[in-house]
Amino acid sequence: MKFSEKWLRQWVNPPVDSKALAEKLTMAGLEIESLTAIGLGESNIRVGLVINAEKHPDADRLRVCTVSVNPNEPNLTIVCGGANVRTGLKVPVALVGAKLPGLEIKKAKIRGVESFGMICSTTELQLTETSEGIMELPEDAPIGMEIAEYLQLPDTIFDVNLTTNRSDCLSIQGMARETSALFNLNYSALQIQNIAATINDVIPVQVTAAIACPRYLGRIIKGISTTAKTPLWMQEKLQRSGIRSIHPVVDINNYVMLELGQPLHAFDLNSIKGGIQVRMSTPDEKIILLDDQELSLDSSLVISDSEKLLALAGIMGGKSSSVTEATTDIFIESAFFHPDALSPTLRKSPIPSDSAHRFERGVDPELCMQAMARVTELLQAIVGGEIGPIIECVDRNELPKPITIALRRERIARILGITLPDTTVEQILTGLGMQLTPQENGWQVAIPSYRFDLQIEVDLIEELARVYGFNQIPSQLPVKKLHMLPISETLKTANELRNFWMNQGFHEAINYSFVDPKIENLFNPDAKALRLANPISEELSVMRTSLWPGLIQAALFNLNRQQNLVRLFEIGVCFNSVNDQLEQKNRIAGIVFGPVAAEQWSMQSRNYDFYDLKGVIENLFSTLSKTEFSYNQTAHPALHPGRSAAILRKQQLIGFCGELHPKLQQEFGIQSRVYLFELQLDGLTEAELPVYKAPSKFPSIRRDLAFTVAEAISFQQLHDCIQTSGGDTLQSVQLFDVYRGTGIKPGEKSMALSLTFQSSSRTLIDSEIDGAMNNIVGLLKQQYSAALRT
Amino acid sequence: MTEIADASLQYQVEDLVKQTQQAITNARDLSNLEQIRTQVLGKKGQLTELLKMLGTLPAEQRSAAGQWVNIAKQQIQNAIQARTTELNEAQLQEKLATETIDISLPGRRSETGNLHPITRMMQRIEQLFRSAGFTIEEGPEIEDDFHNFEALNFPQNHPARAMHDTFYFPNGLLLRTHTSPVQIRAMHKNKPPLRVITPGRVYRCDSDQTHTPMFHQLEGLVIDEHCTFADLKGLLQDFLNQLFERELSFRFRPSFFPFTEPSGEVDMSCVLCNGQGCRVCKHTGWLEILGCGMVHPNVLKMGGIDPEIYTGFAFGAGIDRLAMLRYGIDDLRKIFENDIRFLEQF
Repeated sequence: MKFSEKWLRQWVNPPVDSKALAEKLTMAGLEIESLTAIGLGESNIRVGLVINAEKHPDADRLRVCTVSVNPNEPNLTIVCGGANVRTGLKVPVALVGAKLPGLEIKKAKIRGVESFGMICSTTELQLTETSEGIMELPEDAPIGMEIAEYLQLPDTIFDVNLTTNRSDCLSIQGMARETSALFNLNYSALQIQNIAATINDVIPVQVTAAIACPRYLGRIIKGISTTAKTPLWMQEKLQRSGIRSIHPVVDINNYVMLELGQPLHAFDLNSIKGGIQVRMSTPDEKIILLDDQELSLDSSLVISDSEKLLALAGIMGGKSSSVTEATTDIFIESAFFHPDALSPTLRKSPIPSDSAHRFERGVDPELCMQAMARVTELLQAIVGGEIGPIIECVDRNELPKPITIALRRERIARILGITLPDTTVEQILTGLGMQLTPQENGWQVAIPSYRFDLQIEVDLIEELARVYGFNQIPSQLPVKKLHMLPISETLKTANELRNFWMNQGFHEAINYSFVDPKIENLFNPDAKALRLANPISEELSVMRTSLWPGLIQAALFNLNRQQNLVRLFEIGVCFNSVNDQLEQKNRIAGIVFGPVAAEQWSMQSRNYDFYDLKGVIENLFSTLSKTEFSYNQTAHPALHPGRSAAILRKQQLIGFCGELHPKLQQEFGIQSRVYLFELQLDGLTEAELPVYKAPSKFPSIRRDLAFTVAEAISFQQLHDCIQTSGGDTLQSVQLFDVYRGTGIKPGEKSMALSLTFQSSSRTLIDSEIDGAMNNIVGLLKQQYSAALRT
Repeated sequence: MTEIADASLQYQVEDLVKQTQQAITNARDLSNLEQIRTQVLGKKGQLTELLKMLGTLPAEQRSAAGQWVNIAKQQIQNAIQARTTELNEAQLQEKLATETIDISLPGRRSETGNLHPITRMMQRIEQLFRSAGFTIEEGPEIEDDFHNFEALNFPQNHPARAMHDTFYFPNGLLLRTHTSPVQIRAMHKNKPPLRVITPGRVYRCDSDQTHTPMFHQLEGLVIDEHCTFADLKGLLQDFLNQLFERELSFRFRPSFFPFTEPSGEVDMSCVLCNGQGCRVCKHTGWLEILGCGMVHPNVLKMGGIDPEIYTGFAFGAGIDRLAMLRYGIDDLRKIFENDIRFLEQF
């Protein structure tokens, strides 16, 4: 909310400057977001009357004006470029010697005509950032008066960003109450003159939605002036609050809303057929609002007559019942709409209106009558008319009840950590408009109706802290019993995994959890990705079921920026449906392509392949368990069917690794082969606690073995076969060569392995090892037709 | 005859020593030296031959002559030894000279990657709080209305809810808008006293220069029998001072969150301009950095904790913003682009 500092100071005038006032309010929780100085101080700019304005003899766009700024002195000749300058107009005139920012007014010859001053625009007066033509002052502006005095300048516009609980401050009255409490001053409450009804005209008002609208006040005013104008002082105050002057009746309503906080509405009486109804709309009722938008309602709180909808209650009036320049008879509404009554409508169709903003946050339920009196007083003064009696519909059972809260002295210290003297407590709360009744352990505190945000004891403690000053409360370090936190040695954290991948040369990526359904579908055509009801865009509309869609996009982003080596990993939650249950589990995934190492003077360059990635994965697994991980050849829709593996731990599937399917590689337009892995994080958290085994004191013996087998036989099969046939002194099997080509039949491959034998209890003799080797060769031959090479 | 013979032998030995020493000095390498050694000291060497002649001397002269010959042998051996050392040293020097490499050539590296700056910041925050005895809790990112709003005292239909710009799913579930729901889960899981932080990803339906639809939040919760606003202030100041490794200035401003009462916001002196005023702090010298407050009694009740016995405080901060301030990242949108040229700087 924006408001004029001058206006606030008419209510309460603390002895500090604008900046200090803003600081005080901000530090009390009423954040002043900006201060904007407007207007000039006393600067010899005066109200003048254009006695005559005629075209400049030598310039089409200039006028030569005769202006009076003092009836007792000769008139001034002023050359003016404003298109709207005309005879009889009152204008601000900067006299010779006046100082405007960056400009001192001097006597000057303009196209041969002597000019003794300048007629000013609102921009030149520092009132607005832009303007069209010169500023037009009302007819009753007193000739010769300093503009600063006449327009209440200079002023500062305060823009306060109120938290949703402090709607009581959405008015000058509210800001004045708060300011007076903070500075321990009294504020001058508005003296409203109650104007008695002069006519008996009423219309029936029927409230059927009493929960939503427990109080509804209305009043007829007949025969208002259609020529009356909004006084400048009111226009200025509205303008400084960012509200445009529209029509005197509307302006007065807005003014009272700004002044007191009560939104009001005026209907053209003659558009109301029958009487007023305050009710819930029936499905598909339609209304065209003041801003011309047509709404189709389901169940909204509305004001209607016997035929049609007149207004969306508390939010915006209808077009057909609005006050126009021809309006002579009006019906003024001052009502209390419950916050909950408006929000469903506003959730469905957010309509920005000052009224909705206030009602949605809450308006003082006891304010309707005061506001009605005030609006009547102002209407009477400005547009006149005959005043009808106030029509009041109230359901006291549905009105918020007055609140009394017990405040315990001990509890204040318990929450804030300081002991406030009773006098301080009493002074602060009384200053905020509360009534205190001392009790043995504290006070009974009666809350004023406008502070409906205060509901429980701790709310009062917050008020104390806020006004006393958060920064006055000392800081201290919390004290706690000293004890160790449990730290598992065998549970690996995500951070340890991150460090591992980082050390393997991978950069950590963080992608959005929502992805493009098209890409998601390429990777996981069978997964039903969860769709957002209100995504930012189609490209970010489904929850990822895998980290791969995000990583491939990140990889492409880099590829498009001349990065030919991409190594990225990510840890994040994936959202999958498992047996129709939503599963949110962390995964770790990576993407890699390009040269294995950056180009280097002493090494051959080559591109990443399956075994480079597998090597890194094996490294990771070796830190967790020596035996529990295994790989199965597998089919995955996103992976090359011949170059992909399912990864298992204790025979449970925990993820995949492999080459991106050439079809997808082509689809994404990547030149080099792309390698991917993805693992469930919970498959990687458990590590084995080391159990020491003494190394053998006896020598180990190495035997090498080379044989040919069919291509289809996997190393794993051969390895397993050797392990089962090698006896218990076989310690390790290392593959050191795989060869195809000259000397090997097509469809076969030669494999060379080194086998290490060792016993922990004795030195092995050749004949034992020969026996083991014979077993191995025999079984390899029998199971896989392996032919020994010699 | 014997005296002559005697003198001549002595003369011959001395002469041999002289000649040999000269030859040793001239020896170019170890094999040359070995040749000399064999020629002089070998089985058929010149000195060995002279030694054989000792037998022809009269007995009374033998011992003296033996001494000369042994001294001569010793002298020659010493000379060989010295020359061997010299030649070895020269050989080593030559080897060293020829083997010299350009040590400025780049080494063979296995390159290392980098942690994302958000992770880096998150790890730092976790370390700091762990050092103060906090544990780390996590919760689901797709949440229900109860945990994200209701249990945190957000009134149904309240504008405070609307301000959260929530992403919804057709079934009514939502993407958590803050990590505060983990508070509720932590309270249900553990008995007080509680000291937890819950860093994590959160989502709001908002995307522009200064908002990303996904970001990271740190949430902290302390519940104990004696836990006050003064403790909250002390802990947060300590945290930020340690995080930025300097003594910062602070101000606490009252604010409003449905789940805390009193609620506040913490401004710290701008870490980029030391409070002098710059673009980042909008020339105020202050940065709004944390939201905090005493846990609302309704929230404690929702968490199964008696607010008459226990009090608590909670706080929250944007990790992305902390990382931006700490590492001088000036464009929020860079954070989720995963540009390697960005990532490799952390």
